[in-house]
Amino acid sequence: MWVDQVSDGDVSGAFSQGRPDALALVYARFGPLVYSIATRSLGARSDAEDVTQQVFVSAWRSRDSFDPARGTLGGWLVTITRNKVADALRERQRESRVLLQAAGAGVRAPVAPADQVVDKIVLADELAQLPQSQRLVMVLAFYSDLTHDQIAQALGLPLGTVKSHIRRGLQRLRSRLEADGVAY
Amino acid sequence: MSHTDPVILALRALGEAAGAATDAGHAATCVHCRTELARLAEVVELARRDGPGEFLETPPPQVWGQIAAAVGADPAAMISAGNGAAGAAGAEWAATAGDSGGGAAAVPLAGRRARAHRHVKQGRPRRRLAVALAGLAAGLIIGVGGTAGVVQLAKAPATRVVAQIQLSPLPEFPQWQGAAGTAVMRATASQQVIAVALHAPRRPGFYEVWLLARDGVSMISLGELNAGHTGTFIVPPGTDLRNYSRVDVSLQPFDGSTVHSKTSVVRGSLPVAALGGGGGSGPAR
Repeated sequence: MWVDQVSDGDVSGAFSQGRPDALALVYARFGPLVYSIATRSLGARSDAEDVTQQVFVSAWRSRDSFDPARGTLGGWLVTITRNKVADALRERQRESRVLLQAAGAGVRAPVAPADQVVDKIVLADELAQLPQSQRLVMVLAFYSDLTHDQIAQALGLPLGTVKSHIRRGLQRLRSRLEADGVAY
Repeated sequence: MSHTDPVILALRALGEAAGAATDAGHAATCVHCRTELARLAEVVELARRDGPGEFLETPPPQVWGQIAAAVGADPAAMISAGNGAAGAAGAEWAATAGDSGGGAAAVPLAGRRARAHRHVKQGRPRRRLAVALAGLAAGLIIGVGGTAGVVQLAKAPATRVVAQIQLSPLPEFPQWQGAAGTAVMRATASQQVIAVALHAPRRPGFYEVWLLARDGVSMISLGELNAGHTGTFIVPPGTDLRNYSRVDVSLQPFDGSTVHSKTSVVRGSLPVAALGGGGGSGPAR
């Protein structure tokens, strides 16, 4: 049997208790989520690295303000990430305004981190949390044009298992989007 | 009348024509079922919008170093966490956190950096189109070499399925007996594409897809599977698939070496009869 992941609840619990190893655990779990939102929103990798660093440092320093009863840790980190991305964009705009005014050019409107980008990455993150065989089923259901019985055949899984993976998988993705997404 | 079976709602959200006409009629008039269908269809629409959803990127190792320095975290945990983020499952991170240093230090490179050394293999330029499992529907997202950015194709050309095979573990690798995979080969007018999906545990290193020749020695590297253990690869045009007919997935350590690790996770043979000539009748790219 494959090793399964520590649940998000365990990570969240360790974090809100301020356990010394908790930040490393939180970073291992949510680092790619935060970094992916930052790279997709900012383009430049160096900026995305800065934002990622700021998000986790800020999250750790303000961990007392995280209340697991009011929302998920993932959603809280997504909110911090969006704020830091907005700060970075504002800073970038301020710099470019100086440059553009020096060059006598007009000033472009700021580019906000698109909600769709955030939601799509939250979805990718939850997809990556699914058990392997279920993830395989969901990926094939989304991105191949195989029907569920063709997927069952391709993966050598019972039809009922594939149906159940699809139903529960969609529900789980939906719940995660409702908890951590922006537009849901 | 009872509500529509949730499985049927899920399949319909994916666009399948599931269920009987009575289900469709019920779902159209029942507020509960119609809402549920719309909820799930939104997820499907988001997942399919702009192509595959699996393109999470792992921050480079120095980012955690900076975070740990800023908050005064344990440096030993840094390495473990970096690895965890690089692909090891959380529980594996938790399991190795206690003895960090040793095993953890063996994997100092993010996959991307290790791969940068892997340009040429078997004297043949590498096809560097590692794609999330895509290429199948419209709208490919192609990460070229991992750093060059995202290329979106407005519409994928029409494809036909040439072959669909199961990939199975080999008897000589008992540690992989739970693994499984599938490879779907599709052809357009100008090229052939193989989509591979692997069911295997996360392990230090990365999974790489190869075409093996009949002599058992020659091989062509197609590229690495992504963090979701899927990938779509263009078969180098001109490849004689009647010879390079076996699809192999290896587990590669982050050691900078460009050759097959000799650790085969799963393998399967393309049906030679279905393959015809070389890898794409169009002009070489």
